[in-house]
Amino acid sequence: MSGDVAKARVTLRISRFTPRAEQAAKRPSSPFAAKSSSPFAKSTSPFGASSAPRRARGKRWTQDYSLVVRPQDSILDCLLTIKRTMDPTLAFRYSCGHGMCGSDAAAVNGTPTLLCKTSVGQSAQGAAVAAGSHCGFRHTRPAEGFKQADQQPDQPVKATTDRNDQYHQDNMIQQATDGIVDLGVIELAPLPGFPVQRDLIADIDPMLDQITRLKPYLQTDGKLATTSEGKVDVFEYLQKPDELAKYELLSNCIACGVCEGSCPVYAGGNPFMGPAALIAASRFINDSRDQAQDARFDAIDTEDGVAACQSVRACSRQCPRGIDVGEEMWQLISRVGQRQEQDLA
Amino acid sequence: MRVQSLAWQMGRARIMYMSPKDLEDIYDVVIVGAGAAGLSAALGLLYSPQVANERESGQEPKILVVSKLQPLRSHTGSAEGGIAASLGNSEHDDWHWHYYDTVKGGDWLVDQDAARILAQEAPETVINLERSGVAFSRTDDGHIDQRRFGGHTADFGQAPVRRAAYAADRIGHQILFSLWQQCVGLGVRFAEEWYVSDLVLSSQHHSNQADLSQEAAVAGIVAFDSATGKVHPIAARQVLLATGGAGRLFHTTSNSWDLTGDGMALALEAGLQLEDMEFIQFHPTGLGHTGILLSEAARAEGATLRNAEGRAFMTDYAPDHGDLAARDVVSRSIMSEIDAGRGVADPSDPQGAKDCVWLDMTDIDRDHMLQTLPQVVETIQEYAGLDPTMDLVPVKPTAHYTMGGIPITTEGRVYQWMDGERREIQGLHAAGECSCLSVHGANRLGGNSLLDACLFGKRAGLDMAAQLLALGQTEGAVTARNQVEEAARRREGNLLSLLENQGADVPGDAAESASGPTPKNEGSRGDSQSADPHNAYELLARLGQIMETAVAVRCDQEGIDQALAALHGELEPQIKTLRSHSDSRVFNQEVTAIWEVGHLAELADVVLRASAARQESRGSLKRVDFPDRDDRRYLVHSMTAEGSEPSWQPVHILDMPPQARQY
Repeated sequence: MSGDVAKARVTLRISRFTPRAEQAAKRPSSPFAAKSSSPFAKSTSPFGASSAPRRARGKRWTQDYSLVVRPQDSILDCLLTIKRTMDPTLAFRYSCGHGMCGSDAAAVNGTPTLLCKTSVGQSAQGAAVAAGSHCGFRHTRPAEGFKQADQQPDQPVKATTDRNDQYHQDNMIQQATDGIVDLGVIELAPLPGFPVQRDLIADIDPMLDQITRLKPYLQTDGKLATTSEGKVDVFEYLQKPDELAKYELLSNCIACGVCEGSCPVYAGGNPFMGPAALIAASRFINDSRDQAQDARFDAIDTEDGVAACQSVRACSRQCPRGIDVGEEMWQLISRVGQRQEQDLA
Repeated sequence: MRVQSLAWQMGRARIMYMSPKDLEDIYDVVIVGAGAAGLSAALGLLYSPQVANERESGQEPKILVVSKLQPLRSHTGSAEGGIAASLGNSEHDDWHWHYYDTVKGGDWLVDQDAARILAQEAPETVINLERSGVAFSRTDDGHIDQRRFGGHTADFGQAPVRRAAYAADRIGHQILFSLWQQCVGLGVRFAEEWYVSDLVLSSQHHSNQADLSQEAAVAGIVAFDSATGKVHPIAARQVLLATGGAGRLFHTTSNSWDLTGDGMALALEAGLQLEDMEFIQFHPTGLGHTGILLSEAARAEGATLRNAEGRAFMTDYAPDHGDLAARDVVSRSIMSEIDAGRGVADPSDPQGAKDCVWLDMTDIDRDHMLQTLPQVVETIQEYAGLDPTMDLVPVKPTAHYTMGGIPITTEGRVYQWMDGERREIQGLHAAGECSCLSVHGANRLGGNSLLDACLFGKRAGLDMAAQLLALGQTEGAVTARNQVEEAARRREGNLLSLLENQGADVPGDAAESASGPTPKNEGSRGDSQSADPHNAYELLARLGQIMETAVAVRCDQEGIDQALAALHGELEPQIKTLRSHSDSRVFNQEVTAIWEVGHLAELADVVLRASAARQESRGSLKRVDFPDRDDRRYLVHSMTAEGSEPSWQPVHILDMPPQARQY
């Protein structure tokens, strides 16, 4: 048996950024110097920050890392290998490693996605097509693979460890019988549309602010169902399976920000509360238990709400939870439209 | 039954704070951790009559939730299967049966007063979660649906019962988001991506150790803001630790990369004991070598474990419950098959060790599988490249849950076991996986972890609210602040030593800002650090291997001794020499990784010593050299502090004397 578990070589070309130290020092040097009388009393206007995306000052560069991997490994696996064996300074968010926590949204070859849900094989192919490159995905061509392995690429900053060289050699031996796959270059950058903080870490607080502004919590009358004698007999709110089906998928949103980074309106810096916040609103609008539907529609029926959506539907393509975000936006737009017509009538 | 009122009814809904720009002199309550336990505690506090009254009269207690992750990233979100409660929505159930299953599942090491509360208050807890917005799966008539789960039985072990309330296979995600949403509604203040580096107790001497012969009380915490790299002293009258488990002690684990046992290690470093740390649950069905969890729900819906010969071997080990026997039983059965040479290799590494068995889901109807197990199917497709409707799936036991932790009472108060009695640390609470009640005993029952976190998290919140007034006045506040600030100065010194790395020409933070934005070597030493022998990530992996070899699923004295030798002789000296390879403070993840691996090494020592001290096999602890349970000597909890032999606390037995545990 050959190639199906063969190792492959890939170069990760990573946009790196280290902010200058002054930026970090902006907060008061003593945390006790300034204080409010109550943590609930004073708003620090979290929305101010999102309107003018700041470009932090610091050092920016691109760094290449060459690794030997299996094509089915996730990009996150590769980054963790880099941290462990090559460069512990590389910064990126990650936690659960399998697409549930939403920490690791970033741009792979320019496309926002979760690093843990994107395999090297799948991304490298994309890179080769996009770049029209000659060093792209070579599936079973041992001769060229051999040449590729022998070659020392001339890269801006090359990071290789002894251990990696060892892989390298193992692989050259292996390829004589099995063939080697050279997956070329995969470009990694922080999630578009958000200020970069360090390397692949972006500040997604603007998205979380926009979600929270839409009151993303169940609003009900709190009444308990009672029997004819007035005794409480059901404690949970009843909801039929078909009512659940209307919002269940929406409730699976993990607030990773991939849809926001994909949206040309949002990532382009236009005033738009963004698809993630609208999905959060829609999740409650479609929940039969929620009783704030009118207020929720009011909140999104604004210039920077559904009106800002241009139905590009780029938001749907990479959603890691399989939500058709664009279709959901369209449903919201049409329901807001119907509501406006009813108001006029 | 108490049904909580809802956030918006209080007219208090506010935008949350993303991060505290300025800190209070002293907080009434600081909660460390923002998963199910931490958020439930915050909500318990805010829904309490004391705080509701205070807020009515315009008084706001000063509360801060500090979390090393943005709360929505917490590992609670990865829980799949369900939350146990005898709602009886799907078939008749009784909390006494849940109580019995919990005690039996824990191999009679469960404190029965605590388990009684757990079973009795479970329905209320689940219903309040529903009323908080959780999108539970439903029965046709609209009630919360319930499914079967390993170890859940009717009539005290007679027959399986549907007790696990669920939301497809995403119950943890649903609970985490709903709790966070409620906190948003109530305006809870969060310090996100702040790593808590120190727990400060007021009787501390110059060392970090509390003198527990005197009355100890909480003074506060020290936290490291990872976005800025600044160290913050945070004084507090009450602190609750809810930092989760320590699955990263092991190489193969279902736990996220952040489950490094920080809260437990903070308690150890403050001189406190940990309880029952020898008990670590291995979930039987981790996906191959990834360790990613495949929910027990798969077996509840009809999947079967098979060995290399295709035999459904669980009926050999647990004739009555088969594949749905308790987790420790299933994990050990899998290891027995592997040891007997009937294991299979992970197909992604066909030449590798035959240390897996098959999970056969092919008998489950395809549509039913997609409807009830979407997450399981997706995980298998993405991370194994297999189709569970057609292919056998390789699985192996994966480190899943730490039954032990910081000892707490049923009100969540942290105590020390001294001279045969419990001595509480004033103002210190804990909840969730980092704590030990003990409701899980020697092995946790499926569906009880979310329940424990939500139920006892809330109880701890209510208890902190009840103590607000008593602790509210400023006596001791100045002392507390001084102590916390002193601890912060020590931590800052430690931080500087980590950042001042190799060579005299390396600028410190201040020098860097003076000389411009360009750190040397293109902002990192990634290309020049090959001279460095070690980094934290590498040592983390090494530690995981040591622990996996020594104590995963089973252990013996020889293996424990070898692991202790490797830990103290090899790993700890290396950890002490770790330095950051970047001198920038902003999102310097390596700094937190250095602290995390230090925490894990401290915990590994306690796990190994507690495992060595318990010369019996019980629940998740299988001592190959002591294969039987020994109630005469070990119907006791181990209480282990740093650098001392465990002391033993008797188990609370109320209603159910120990029996043989058979499935």
